[in-house]
Amino acid sequence: MIRDAAGRIGYSPSLLVALSAAVLVALVSITSGAYPLALADILSVFTGQEATDPVASMVLLEVRMPRFLLGFLVGAVLAVSGALLQGLFRNPLADPGLIGVSAGASLAAIAVIVLGNTWLGGWLAMTGEWALPIAAFLGGSGTVLLAWRIANRSGQTAVATLLLAGIAINAVAGAATGLLTFYATDEELRSLTFWTMGSLGHAGWDDLLVGAPFMLLALLATPWLARPLDAFLLGESVVGHLGYRTDTIKKAAILVVGLGVGAAVAVSGLIGFVGLVVPHLVRQMVGASHRMVLPLSILVGGTLLVAADSLARVVVAPAELPIGLMMALIGGPFFLALLLRTKVI
Amino acid sequence: MRFRVFAAFLLVTVLFPVAQAGEPPRVVTADGAITEIVYRLGLESLLVGVDTTSGYPEQTESLPKVGYLRALPFEGVLALKPDLLITSEQAAPEDSLERLGRAGVQVEKLPLARSPEAVLERIVSVGRLLGEEDRAESLASELRSKIKHIQQASLARGNQPKVLFILAAGNHSVMLAGEGTAASALLDTVGAVNAVSGIQGYKPANREAILASRPDAIVIAESTPGQFDIRSWSEVERLEAWQSGHRLVADSMMLLGFGPRLPDAMAAVNDVLSAPSNVAANDP
Amino acid sequence: MVLCVKNLSVSIERSRIVHGIDCHLHEGELLMLLGPNGAGKSTLLRAISGDLAYGGSVSLSGRELGEWRPEHLARQRAVMPQRVEVNFPLTVEEVVQLGRSELRAGMNDPVVDRLMDDLDIAHLRHRLVPGLSGGEQQRLQLARVLAQIMDSPGERLLLLDECTSALDPAHQQMVLDLVRRLAKEEGVAVLAVMHDLNLAAQFADRLMLMKAGYRVHSGSAWDVLTPDLLETVYGFSARVVELEEGYPMVVPRRGAPVRAQLAPLNPSCRQAS
Repeated sequence: MIRDAAGRIGYSPSLLVALSAAVLVALVSITSGAYPLALADILSVFTGQEATDPVASMVLLEVRMPRFLLGFLVGAVLAVSGALLQGLFRNPLADPGLIGVSAGASLAAIAVIVLGNTWLGGWLAMTGEWALPIAAFLGGSGTVLLAWRIANRSGQTAVATLLLAGIAINAVAGAATGLLTFYATDEELRSLTFWTMGSLGHAGWDDLLVGAPFMLLALLATPWLARPLDAFLLGESVVGHLGYRTDTIKKAAILVVGLGVGAAVAVSGLIGFVGLVVPHLVRQMVGASHRMVLPLSILVGGTLLVAADSLARVVVAPAELPIGLMMALIGGPFFLALLLRTKVI
Repeated sequence: MRFRVFAAFLLVTVLFPVAQAGEPPRVVTADGAITEIVYRLGLESLLVGVDTTSGYPEQTESLPKVGYLRALPFEGVLALKPDLLITSEQAAPEDSLERLGRAGVQVEKLPLARSPEAVLERIVSVGRLLGEEDRAESLASELRSKIKHIQQASLARGNQPKVLFILAAGNHSVMLAGEGTAASALLDTVGAVNAVSGIQGYKPANREAILASRPDAIVIAESTPGQFDIRSWSEVERLEAWQSGHRLVADSMMLLGFGPRLPDAMAAVNDVLSAPSNVAANDP
Repeated sequence: MVLCVKNLSVSIERSRIVHGIDCHLHEGELLMLLGPNGAGKSTLLRAISGDLAYGGSVSLSGRELGEWRPEHLARQRAVMPQRVEVNFPLTVEEVVQLGRSELRAGMNDPVVDRLMDDLDIAHLRHRLVPGLSGGEQQRLQLARVLAQIMDSPGERLLLLDECTSALDPAHQQMVLDLVRRLAKEEGVAVLAVMHDLNLAAQFADRLMLMKAGYRVHSGSAWDVLTPDLLETVYGFSARVVELEEGYPMVVPRRGAPVRAQLAPLNPSCRQAS
């Protein structure tokens, strides 16, 4: 693949395309849904006038808006986490789901749901409504750290080991989750099932309030990681040669991924493959430099998830498909195709 | 924004009685048993949507499905423009229900029914909500006498038979019903006890536990006909109760729904406890 | 003195690869490290690069390596590893720009442009690195490494590990010529691991010969490249002839027995040649 002679100028069309796609998807997601709203009513609500449909403002401002924002944030965080991990591990197949970060975060969250009344009562009392995101964050970061320890021998990350470690971590977390569900009551069990499939269906301003600070923090930290991660693409020793503190960068990236994925998992359950699909698409558009890959992953990730969610809301309307299911349907085949084409394992 | 929501709320509450007085209310039910009650009362014309647990009677197929009762989508329900949502206390998520309430939908969560009396109360509640209390009362008293009849028969039996209750739902998931389940509650109504003790809720079936339970009768609840394949459960076949014909294979919604078909369920279970003769019809 | 190495030893997985090496480099000096595969040259270079833990002392401009802040060190010392694999679709220009620190990084950096011209990769500017040939990648990496210290004030050190191994003869001359010019005109001190004895003789101020982790000999090309030393260290027989330009050239004898065994085989410092 040869970039056109315009080079750097070639970036801006991609950015423009991504931006307009984001705006378009935002409009679609806010204007469409199971409940039919007249365009005039939508305009009235956003211009502060009285809409003819009395529930218009509620549907728009209390349901679709927070859902759009939450979907966008979750998509952005998952995509950028994928990009960070891929840079860190120097492999395009690293993904929060594949290496077990999501599973670790969800295990912690499920533990809070199931054991919140008994063993983890103290945790709940201590953290209040933040119990879930903080637990998910700890679970997520812990798993990245674990995957790193397993796969990283004397400064080199063996990617095959990493993916195998991911399988093992997923299996262990899955088993522990299974154990917890075994002891869950019927009530807890059914909510858990829906939660592990991933959903934005319940999204409201309160979810946003709890999850957004963590996710925004993660997103805001990424620009600082862009250049060092480019150095990571040349090898871990080069990072040090170029004057970056390799360990600090690694820890920061792990923290950001744990923070973002943990919060995303806490508010929306398990949504896979965003972190795999989006950075790959973005690299096809603008190359591998993280100064472009990270911001565009945020944009495209948010857009993709909101688009998938809009679709999930309408295909079986008035019911909804779980968004996690939707993404797995899109991402699974994509991953297989990627696996067949990649030589870098 | 808060003001506008409040204004909308006021508008809705003013408009609501008009809608009720003028034309028949639009109703969504989210609970299989409640849907059955509406049909039994002959009020199905009011229904504009049901949830995915409502699969009986077959006519429910033609109604829009709003999803699972524990994951009710706000917009999905609202899109049907219902005046009334009748559901059980299991309905979730709370956000959706609370918003539906504020959007002018009357949300009624009925308590879980796990006893004949509660089922009858539920029927009366549904009737009252739909403005047909008398019809509901007469249905309730009709069912009450049936139940009484069955319970007298079970009392006459004089013993407390042990029943192994198996739930076959979904792909290859075969569960044993433990304590605190609708299955246990059903057995209770006909003076039987659960042969499996010491487990809570529904747990994956364990072949040894099946053999150890030594039941006097076996009840198998299937979510779709033919779900339970006796060929892969030779332990069940080996049980004396199965050999002697003390067995019942029936629809799980009928058995465990605690809806208007409760007397049918009780009668079916009660029959299998005493006489093995009339079971053949239900054999897979 | 730019670089001062005292009694440096390195162990990897409990076996000692480098034994008590002393060496020093002055401003503008070009020292080349020679020795058979497994002699410990790269290991020594990596220790000085800060990639490996070591015993003894390594100081730059009089300050011990560990006392430098990484970002300051990066402006005084640049390292070109033996191999840099890039599997992601970065462009040539993006990689060279990585050598520039955040402050200096920007569009149309004249230093980047000049280095790409000097190393004959300007025409590859927008190509993706994974698709380049081995030689092109090696020149690209050198450009990145040089960009790092190109306009830094103060003493500068350049560490090169076989920076010409994938190049054709013309580009070998081009690259070493550039490195030597940097040393002589800008005072950069250079420590380079080499395999090609004749290139080393041609461009180095001093040579250091290593074997099995020990320093065998060091001095001028004439001191180091003698038939006797080559026989003992490499195990092959050669003539050393004087070229018109005044430096020696090693000519191996055809058919003479090669006892290439030679360096004790240590798996952890086997070097690709």
